[in-house]
Amino acid sequence: MKTPTRVQPTDAEIEAIVADAIAQEAACAGSEAQPPSSAIVWWRAQMRARQEATQLAEKPITIVHALSIAAGIGLMLSVVGYVAAVMKGSRGWLATVTDLAAAAVPSMPALTSPWVAVTLTAMLVSALIASIAAFVIFSDE
Amino acid sequence: MTTYLDVRRLHGDALEADTADVALAMDEDAFRAFYDRTSRALWGYLSRTSGDRQVADDLLQECYYRLLKSAVPFESEAHRRNYLYRIATNLVRDTRRGTRPLFADGVEVADLEAPQAHADAAERADVRRAMGRLKPRERALLWLAYAQGSSHSEIADVLGLKTGSIKLLLFRARRKLAALLAPKVSS
Repeated sequence: MKTPTRVQPTDAEIEAIVADAIAQEAACAGSEAQPPSSAIVWWRAQMRARQEATQLAEKPITIVHALSIAAGIGLMLSVVGYVAAVMKGSRGWLATVTDLAAAAVPSMPALTSPWVAVTLTAMLVSALIASIAAFVIFSDE
Repeated sequence: MTTYLDVRRLHGDALEADTADVALAMDEDAFRAFYDRTSRALWGYLSRTSGDRQVADDLLQECYYRLLKSAVPFESEAHRRNYLYRIATNLVRDTRRGTRPLFADGVEVADLEAPQAHADAAERADVRRAMGRLKPRERALLWLAYAQGSSHSEIADVLGLKTGSIKLLLFRARRKLAALLAPKVSS
């Protein structure tokens, strides 16, 4: 008895079947799709583009800020180091400062300590640098 | 030499951009018309090539944003559309490189759990399951050819392949999908 042979589909038949299956799937995808409205997509794109433009512009500002802070700290440390070195070498002027402080504020004997005087000097120098930096940063002219 | 004040002025200009339109590759009306013509088909391409509707939702906006930010001078609507599909193809490829599995055993999990409302839902699930077992490039090839009706040169442009190789790749992809849809083919 002869067994029935399975007929292989031709390329054209395969193409037709595949095309039909995908076309149905595409129609299904088209009905499933719920894309946001064009107005929303446009608005989001605008917002994102603005945000990116702002971030791009802020990058050099951040770098300059970081450099300014680093320079300020370096300057302050060098001033403190210089003051410490001078203090080690000669305590004459420090004595004058402490005497002046003691004379100005007689009720606070703690101010006469040399270390407090050094700290006060450093703070004064820092305040001076900070005010110069603030002037450079915020003055447009 | 750029001074700090110049940098601050630039910064100020950028902040002023918050209240002005930023430069994008298309004007609003042209974009909205193009989006309305292409978004549904693009969503279908994204969802069927990635195998994940959520990914398609996420990538749709990104595709159009990248198109808007591109500096490519488009010669025609078809050129712009092909470029959009190339962006989509690259985004799907990048998403696939991530850790998130797009297919569970060759088919999106949501498809298996979806209520079968129509008589042909089972058949569609078979098609999806079969497509899920194809390679991503094969899915994209077949979709572009038979869902989008793209020419070989357009497919080559979108997928970054040689035009001459598309015919053979399509032939193989068709055969593979047909084998996966074997009961349907034999009937």
